[in-house]
Amino acid sequence: MVTALGRLALQFLQYLGELALLVYETCVALVVAPIRWRLVMRQIVEVGWRSQLVVIVTGMFTGAVLTAQMYFQFAVLGMESATGSVVAVALFRELGPVLTGLMVAGRVGATSAAEIGTMKVTEQIDALRALAVHPIDYLVIPRVLALVLSMPLLVAQSVGLGIVSSYLVGVHLLNIPGPFFLENLYSYVRLRDLKMALSKGFCFGVVIIFVSCHQGLNAKEGAVGVGRAPTEAVVISSLAILIMNFFLTFLLNMVFPYGK
Amino acid sequence: MANEVPATRMISIRQMTKTLGTQQVLRGVDLEIERGETCVILGRSGCGKSVLLKHLIGLFQPTSGEVWVDGDEITKLRERQLGGIRKKVGMLFQGAALFDSMNVEENLAFPLREAGVKSEAEIRDRVAEALEMVDLAGEQKKMPEKLSGGMRKRVGLARTIVGRPACLLYDEPTTGLDPIASDSINHLIRRLQKRLQVTSVVVTHDMRTAFTTADRVAFLHEGRTYFHGTVDVLKKVADPIITDFIEGRSGDVS
Repeated sequence: MVTALGRLALQFLQYLGELALLVYETCVALVVAPIRWRLVMRQIVEVGWRSQLVVIVTGMFTGAVLTAQMYFQFAVLGMESATGSVVAVALFRELGPVLTGLMVAGRVGATSAAEIGTMKVTEQIDALRALAVHPIDYLVIPRVLALVLSMPLLVAQSVGLGIVSSYLVGVHLLNIPGPFFLENLYSYVRLRDLKMALSKGFCFGVVIIFVSCHQGLNAKEGAVGVGRAPTEAVVISSLAILIMNFFLTFLLNMVFPYGK
Repeated sequence: MANEVPATRMISIRQMTKTLGTQQVLRGVDLEIERGETCVILGRSGCGKSVLLKHLIGLFQPTSGEVWVDGDEITKLRERQLGGIRKKVGMLFQGAALFDSMNVEENLAFPLREAGVKSEAEIRDRVAEALEMVDLAGEQKKMPEKLSGGMRKRVGLARTIVGRPACLLYDEPTTGLDPIASDSINHLIRRLQKRLQVTSVVVTHDMRTAFTTADRVAFLHEGRTYFHGTVDVLKKVADPIITDFIEGRSGDVS
């Protein structure tokens, strides 16, 4: 029992070490190697453009359903017009970044791990190295840059659409007076909420892409190995997002204090 | 121990060992390969031939020992310092390892673009020339998944030679090919050898490949160089380990 726990702890430490090494090598590569902007652009299309459907649906329906639930509760207290602002703050601080992060982890994390993993087991990564191209420069850097640029934008988009759908549902479906809805929105949503949303998006992007690239680069031989890489990439990055979100909330509350 | 390698020597492996996980795959390999010769490394499957080959281009680092390539000791070099060696040494992988997101032309242009060749006309000419050398002229636009196993190997070979390396490494060039395709790859290796004047190292367990292409043969057994000499000498050796391998006898009875 103790041995098993010890082994688990060691494996976890080793995993963190490998991840840290990948981050370090990526930072080195960012400094010493030329950036392949064409590949970065291609990845941005892959990450940003192809995620549109999931981000739009996630944002709009989260905003809509949250508005309905808030309204049903607030209506009892007679404070329906506060619905919009509560929904908006919840979207900015938590739901927008987390749900977008989870959706992107599912799409982009899985794709990256599968692509890189397949290249690993078919010796394409060795071929890159044999042709004097560093796999980090060619495979990891473009994906990292694309995701850390795209994630904050995707989060902003998802939150924005969530607020729009909240307005539509609240004002047009549930008959909250429009001016009150907006007035409350303006007075309770601050710039710090946006900063928190974008910071979380950035951090989740970093986690997703490093976890996924690591899984791909360390994929094991065979169908099982390649199949496991994307699954684990999604599981690990999703769990990491949920756990990290808790700590980030406290951290960002200190970084962007209330009232400023 | 710098400068101990004579200028006529392309590759020099000294007392190299390699442990993968808990298994000691190579237990002290010594091998000298002269410039311009074709050396075939023979041995049973799983005896560490491919692992040995990958050391010559820095894809693996040995556990101990030295590897000299074209006058440089490469075992201490970091990944980013190996670029120079990798421009001199090209490798054909067992499964050809073509980039499956690119067509044939893009695969071949890749090493040229990475090496900084800017002129599109020059790239086009050199790609065409390399394809012509492997008898695949005009196949530029095909995607790798549309190619047969033999054609993939040829495209892989074309991608290897397009950067004009001084040394070619072949990892099991005929494995998985039918006898006719194998024979044509064997002759291709011989022809490129003459035309490009390169040093070649061929890892195989195919005796035909060995007899068609080799100037000298190294036989790997239990992680060591068991035999190193010309094909004629190999054929005359009376050692049962070698004769059983050449004639394909397992010692089992049915």
